[in-house]
Amino acid sequence: MTQAHQVPAAIDPITLAVVRGALETAQREMTLTLEKTGRSSVFNLAHDYSNALFDNLPEMILQGQDIPIHLGSLIPAMKAVADYFGDDIHEGDVIYHNDPVYQGSHILDCCMYKPVFYQGELVFWAVCKGHLTDIGGPVPAGYNPDAKEIYAEGLRIPPVKLWDKGRRRDDVVNLLLCNMRARRDQEGDLNAQFGACRVGERNLLALLDKYGLATVRAAIAELKDMADRHMRSLIRSIPDGTYHGEAVLEDAGHGYGELTIRTQVTVSGDNVHISVQSPPQIPYFINSYAGNSMSGVYLGLMMFAQVPPPYNAGLYRCVSVDLGAHGTLCNAAEPAPHVNCTTTPMETLTDAVRMAFEAAAPERVTASWGHASGINIAGINPATGEQYVTMVLASIISGAGATRQMDGWHACGPLCCFGALSSGDIELLEYAYPIIIHRYGLLQDSGGAGAHRGGSGTVWEVEPRGHDMTVIAFGEGRQIPTMGAAGAHDVLIDKKLGRLEVEHDGALTVHRHNVITTLKPGQRARNINPGGGGYGLPWQRPPAQVLADLKNGLISRLAAREEYGVVIADDNLHIDDAATAALRQQLNLGAQA
Amino acid sequence: MKQRFRLGVDAGGTFTDFVLAEHNGPLRLFKSPSTPDDGTRAIAAGLQQMAEALDMPVGDIIKNCDLCINGTTVALNALIELKGVKVGLLCTAGHEDSIEIRLGHKEEGYRYDASYPPAPQLVPRHLRRPVRGRVLADGSEHEALNEDDILAAIEHFRAEGVESVAISFVWSVRNPAHEQRARELVAEHLPGVFVCSGSEVYPQVREYTRTSTTIVNAYLSPVMGRYVQRIDQFFAELGAHSPVRYFQSNGGLAVGNIMRERAVNAINSGPASAPQAGLYIARPFGIDNVITVDMGGTSFDITLAKDGQTNLNRNIDFLRHRIGVPMIHVETLGAGGGSIAHINTFGMLEVGPHSAGASPGPACYGKGGERATVTDANLALGYLRPDAVLGGSIRLDQPKARAAIAANVAEPLGISVERAAYGISTLVNMNMANGIRRISIEQGYDPRDFALICAGGATGMHITALAEELGIHTVLVPKFASCLCAFGQVISDVKYNFLASAPMRLHREADLATLNRLFDDMEAKGRSHLRADGFDDGKIRVHRSLEMRYQGQIHECTVEIANGEITPDGAEQILQAFHARHEALFTYSEPHNPVELVNLECTVSGLVDKPALPNLAAGEDGVAQAHDGFRAMLFDDSGRWVETPVYRGEQLKAGNRIVGPAAIEEPTTTVIIRPGWQAVLHESGSYQLTRWAE
Repeated sequence: MTQAHQVPAAIDPITLAVVRGALETAQREMTLTLEKTGRSSVFNLAHDYSNALFDNLPEMILQGQDIPIHLGSLIPAMKAVADYFGDDIHEGDVIYHNDPVYQGSHILDCCMYKPVFYQGELVFWAVCKGHLTDIGGPVPAGYNPDAKEIYAEGLRIPPVKLWDKGRRRDDVVNLLLCNMRARRDQEGDLNAQFGACRVGERNLLALLDKYGLATVRAAIAELKDMADRHMRSLIRSIPDGTYHGEAVLEDAGHGYGELTIRTQVTVSGDNVHISVQSPPQIPYFINSYAGNSMSGVYLGLMMFAQVPPPYNAGLYRCVSVDLGAHGTLCNAAEPAPHVNCTTTPMETLTDAVRMAFEAAAPERVTASWGHASGINIAGINPATGEQYVTMVLASIISGAGATRQMDGWHACGPLCCFGALSSGDIELLEYAYPIIIHRYGLLQDSGGAGAHRGGSGTVWEVEPRGHDMTVIAFGEGRQIPTMGAAGAHDVLIDKKLGRLEVEHDGALTVHRHNVITTLKPGQRARNINPGGGGYGLPWQRPPAQVLADLKNGLISRLAAREEYGVVIADDNLHIDDAATAALRQQLNLGAQA
Repeated sequence: MKQRFRLGVDAGGTFTDFVLAEHNGPLRLFKSPSTPDDGTRAIAAGLQQMAEALDMPVGDIIKNCDLCINGTTVALNALIELKGVKVGLLCTAGHEDSIEIRLGHKEEGYRYDASYPPAPQLVPRHLRRPVRGRVLADGSEHEALNEDDILAAIEHFRAEGVESVAISFVWSVRNPAHEQRARELVAEHLPGVFVCSGSEVYPQVREYTRTSTTIVNAYLSPVMGRYVQRIDQFFAELGAHSPVRYFQSNGGLAVGNIMRERAVNAINSGPASAPQAGLYIARPFGIDNVITVDMGGTSFDITLAKDGQTNLNRNIDFLRHRIGVPMIHVETLGAGGGSIAHINTFGMLEVGPHSAGASPGPACYGKGGERATVTDANLALGYLRPDAVLGGSIRLDQPKARAAIAANVAEPLGISVERAAYGISTLVNMNMANGIRRISIEQGYDPRDFALICAGGATGMHITALAEELGIHTVLVPKFASCLCAFGQVISDVKYNFLASAPMRLHREADLATLNRLFDDMEAKGRSHLRADGFDDGKIRVHRSLEMRYQGQIHECTVEIANGEITPDGAEQILQAFHARHEALFTYSEPHNPVELVNLECTVSGLVDKPALPNLAAGEDGVAQAHDGFRAMLFDDSGRWVETPVYRGEQLKAGNRIVGPAAIEEPTTTVIIRPGWQAVLHESGSYQLTRWAE
């Protein structure tokens, strides 16, 4: 077909589709490599990593369908890393980076960038970002609520070469690994990232050999243009104007009170400007630097756009973003502490953006998903004497928001990951760590009430075996329930919230703030994650569906009556139609008043 | 084959295919419309055709068969249509929802899709009942089994009319005592209700996989049991002297008593015979690395066999259900003759995964379809005869094909119909090639080391283009490509897979005695099953493998190992093999780091004598006799038509050589030989397609 090395006037549609397929295969094989070879449970069970391909500009040419929170930030981060090295980028180099000041998300997300050279020219970047289980600092797993500055959180890695012209810089790798707990896990994950980048490179070179650089470049330019045209067509469907959104972030224990994030979405023709105003940054680990905030903004945009793959930089060409003043919560400045930022405040920022789009395009709305309220665990494994540390991804699996079309998925969140995570098999977790998982299940009445119900949140209950285990709780969604959409309305608020319950010798402590606590053998911690928001008026939900939810234990009799206006007969099998009609009319009148 | 015949009956959704292989004689193919409500009617109709063709009573044919083999989609269809039985689950208290949480994951490709529904639940939440009692990772009992919980659940199941009970407790793989006791209680209190447990169905680590596999088995086995009973009885009444063998997803045969307990083992049996069939076809050529591809109307199935060994897959999502038991690794794509070409939301051409199916079918069927499909493109490109008749009844309509391509693809993209047709063909080839990459490169195999085997009626038109895309040099197209899978079933062996779990660090001083004992036990069990099936020791083959990983990894690499005792030196060799496999798959290895083995697998096969392949007569006059005029075809996107010779395959003789571009038309398949390729008909009945020097 197209001759290699001949500059095409306009790329033909068939070659275009073929190049698209080859790029997707390259990215997919990178992801597969990470999944199969990753060493920590965060990599190999939870899939808390993302892969992307960039061109020489460097613009994103393919965003994997991996973790949304990683991928917006990769766009500015790639640029920052390439700028830092400028002309000093060579074949065989591999660059590593996590620092938010260079547009990283949080320092646990360590990112590898491999420049791909073709006939001596820098053509592509294969990029792989993953959440390491530890990055040094005083608190295992990196979530340190006492940190007042980023220096107290862990190791910052500005752009640094781990391979220099094909030679591994063992001294630098050693420097990094010496600063991390559970070194062997971190080293294994670093190798897995290297394998992924090489697999990506191998695929890209084969593509270039086959079609030639000029053709591939022309195809990529057209792919970006297509994405641009599509996003513009969506934006054009919104009437011109400025739309407002806001979301309130609870006080997770810092003492600065509730913080409100406001957004404006301004549509003008086929361009959209998203601006963010957030309060001044605080000396607590929930500040978000610009790169991470871009992910939050883009996710809110995608909840509106609902674009199918492939994803590339073209999607965002018609989007301009102003994150607000430097030194604020969503545009943090050094030395703000930040490790919690990928979930808090990012998910609240996403909600604020989605609320503005709900005002702009109500017919495309999706209710909010449950935010992350999870735990990390750490200790010394009594069987091996080795230290272990991990984020428990199963503990952050929340309910998905309901949509105009259907109920929310159970156990699919949190919002920032949008179903991309995997919580890991409980036997594999019990095999890897000295713990007993007593419960991992859906929680009754946790899904937001609506004509379409929000997905249920989850409960994860753990007990250490034969040792004292540190439990580090982080996140939010423990005081303010997930926001519904289109008139959804919760009554049993407490059931919708996340929390950490700890049983110490029969006494139950309920934590609605971030906390670090220690469990002894025989003691249990129960981490509860919020459900997703509902969609539409709850008393318009068909009573038969309410009854089915009751039978399956997803809701209680109380919720059927209080939230959905459905009165169930004493046998729990039938609906009292007359009483239901009367109650629903009353609820409707109350709502109108 | 001591008897005169072997019968294969492959009951598909639309047609039931019959292969009657005669000892040192011809291979006969028959077909009858399937009768899903009672499969025996379709079988009776096919046997009647056979009786007429051979002029021999049905009973005599059956009495002269050494084996009657049945491939069935009963389990698959019940799973697709959600028509299994009502299942109750007994599970460890606190873990009732793992099957619905599905590890908290939403499938790729639907990340922002607001209308993609959750996976169907085979057991509604209220029928998933908690049982207190807990075993830990080391197999120790942490909490005693609470039998009252089981009895309470049983009462609920009784009230709800549950027909089948799945039992799956956490860590039952390390200590099945709780599951065994629960099974006894269910059998005692719910007589007549099917029951199975995780430690029996899938004795490997991973609670979610085990629970899901057990549920699917409980959901399908009663359906399969009824089917098997009916078929067994049917053949027994006809005088069959050995029990009917059923084809399983692992590529082997099993008797009805196994099938009724383990329907999950048969859910993807349709394409599972393809690798064995491919190997068999390739043997006369001295080839034992094959990738077999089968393009049907809606899907494209790919399988791989390396060094004469088939390739098993474990722990995969099948129809959105997690299935652990080993199945022949089949990569299935939505790419078939009916796949629809369309312009996506970005304005880009895509082919599939949606299909026009059989009705309305491609536009050229003239049954009301207006969308352009792959078959329409093949017709527009001249690959199919413009007036060809498919399946005896559908006359193709070339103008309709061109009109559909013009309206749906060419005009929106502003290109000619010829380029659009060629583009559709190129794109579906790329999709198929990417699927082949997935089963080869992603598993650490280079597709260029394999021969491509063509199965299915539509594949022949794409096969040389596919081979070019992948750099494959050798393609084999059997004359009976369209029935290759049914043929694969009659050459299959009886096969039992056994699994065991023994997590340990592997090194010279490891507990090799335990490993050897587990392997010996599995092998002994297999041998005793096979002896009961009538196999002598000389006809029994054993394959052992280990699933291994670096300590801390979660996913394992499968390493084939030699039979017999594992010695300290043998352990060293196994470690070396693992490092090499990891490097091939993932570009690196870590020889300095500890290696764990997790699971053991032992496959014990009873070798069945194989019917012979055809032995075609040679003759140099075949090419001239077979030549059947010329047809204009397109082989690139230049729009330049090439007058291409067409040959009737039935008149070609062994040794005949056809140089591309050319088309060979067999009664049930058309082979397109692109420029730069040649085909030589081998006496065993396959065309060998290779590149030739220009």
